[in-house]
Amino acid sequence: MNAASTWTTAELQAIILARELADGEVGIVGTASDVQVAACNLARAMHAPSLSWVSGPLGTVNADAGALLPTADARLIRHAEAVVDLSVMIDVIDWRPGFFDFAILGAMQVDRHGNLNTVVIGDHARPKVRGPGVIGTSPLAAFAKHFFVLLARHDRQNLVERVDFISAVGHYRGGSSRASELGLETEGPRLVVTPLAVLDFHPVTRSMQLRSVHPGVSVAEVVARTGFVLDVPPDVATTPPPTVRELAVLRRCVDRTGILRRGRSDTRSQRLGDRPARPMSAGTTHTRTKPCRT
Amino acid sequence: MNPHGTLGARGAGPAAESEGTVGRPLSVRRRKVVTLDDAVRLVEDGATVGLGGWIFYNTPMALVRALARAGRRDLTLVPAPGSIGPDLLIGAGSVSRVFCVFITFEHLGFAPNFRRRSESGALQVLEMDGPGLAAGLRAAADGLPYVPIFDVGTDLPRVNPEWYRPLPAVDGRRLLAVPPIRLDVVLVHAQQADEYGNAQLLGGAFFDPLLAMAARRVVVSVDRLVPTRTIRRVPERTKLPSYLVTAVVECPRGAHPTGSHTLYDPDEGHLRAYVEAGTRPDAYEKYLDRYVRVGEERYRELVRRGARRARTGCEGDER
Repeated sequence: MNAASTWTTAELQAIILARELADGEVGIVGTASDVQVAACNLARAMHAPSLSWVSGPLGTVNADAGALLPTADARLIRHAEAVVDLSVMIDVIDWRPGFFDFAILGAMQVDRHGNLNTVVIGDHARPKVRGPGVIGTSPLAAFAKHFFVLLARHDRQNLVERVDFISAVGHYRGGSSRASELGLETEGPRLVVTPLAVLDFHPVTRSMQLRSVHPGVSVAEVVARTGFVLDVPPDVATTPPPTVRELAVLRRCVDRTGILRRGRSDTRSQRLGDRPARPMSAGTTHTRTKPCRT
Repeated sequence: MNPHGTLGARGAGPAAESEGTVGRPLSVRRRKVVTLDDAVRLVEDGATVGLGGWIFYNTPMALVRALARAGRRDLTLVPAPGSIGPDLLIGAGSVSRVFCVFITFEHLGFAPNFRRRSESGALQVLEMDGPGLAAGLRAAADGLPYVPIFDVGTDLPRVNPEWYRPLPAVDGRRLLAVPPIRLDVVLVHAQQADEYGNAQLLGGAFFDPLLAMAARRVVVSVDRLVPTRTIRRVPERTKLPSYLVTAVVECPRGAHPTGSHTLYDPDEGHLRAYVEAGTRPDAYEKYLDRYVRVGEERYRELVRRGARRARTGCEGDER
């Protein structure tokens, strides 16, 4: 496979996630989700043409503007195949178990067992840091058939032994506790994609373990920057770098205005994972998407 | 009698034209257009107030600024996922309790006043998730004592036991009961409405229709008033029909600095400056002086000037 030479952390994360999305699946993407949208549309362009993804806020299905737009921007409607109002979508977002195949969720804190926290650091009554809140992450973590965790940082502050507040449940207390104590039949968190590495969960203990380190990152660095004792299998792979083709499709068909490309692309800033800021008016001038050729 | 109606006709518009196929009506249909000040009188101190829109879009900011300017106190706020809408009211000292489902400035940072007042304990935060908010609003809309949701293992019932009440499990599934979240009034922003209160959302509807169904009064700000024949051309866009709407206020750019779907984008420069000001109480007071206490006319003028400056390439992000 022909590896590309430079990419940003956001591009790499989108490509890693895209590879994990299977044809025919139905997924949901929340608010502020450039990397998630890129992953879905890249998967559709590459190997999963029958995948469907829904914008949580707008209810658009398979919105594909050729450029990344905020998931609550009305322009998505013109590039979608369906729009289902939120007051209808909440039936399957907030109630129905197993409707979505996957969700891609972010968090302020993730713990050893993949539980998520977007609410508070510290005590809820007098928090040290007050976060944004739960929104739809709690039912999606419980009821999507599996979910992915996407982090914009990898450090001892956001990868912790135990989250201060469970806002969306992962493998709960580890082992089979998710099913036995909470009665949840879905898989739970499958992968955690950070700026440094891809992590998954030990099949028995359901503790987070290192699956692969991104190109240019050492195992020692990942271990040092994780706030709990990370399981490190003997043969940790390197995350397969983006192929020339993946990057070309991403840049030409999915993210033409370079939202994920913005920010410096030298190795160090890639590894620190500074997610580039998106201007909210980006991509406003493009016209209808042409069939994508690469 | 319309349970949502509390105002008589005010600010008479043009003489009633013939609407639809009914021909000339025998009596005059009630108009719902009011001034910003009149609209604010529909929100009393201590009221439970819903806010529509979604984070950086369709937030009824002119109404929010007017409430802050009027010095409303002790409100219980029930915002849809929001940014400057809930944060500005919290920062102005109008809010004592907030149902928080999601309050954030996304990539621009945490909501500064919400954060500071939560961390100091000055603001009571009723922590909700999507199912909790949706169930509470549906219970209110449907007149039910509660709506059941699944218990999905979060810490929400621990910190908010009043709104997440255990129910007996069914078929091994753990359930919670969410009691009604009844809104005294909801503020929403739509792109256009007619003088009778048929309000159209030209892009996403978000939680606005559900919030309206759960509210005793529905106050809508619109970027423009249009004739009823314009409404009738695309009736499927009327997500808030006249019979739900208590009052309509014409506020051009009334969602600014959030965007109004299909009409204008979020003003990222303004939002960024707001977040920065909000992190320091003295700077925030200056923000309130400059943009809120001056009144809506002056606000619009400042925004126009800012946009012009941006076009000529000096500063700001607005195109």
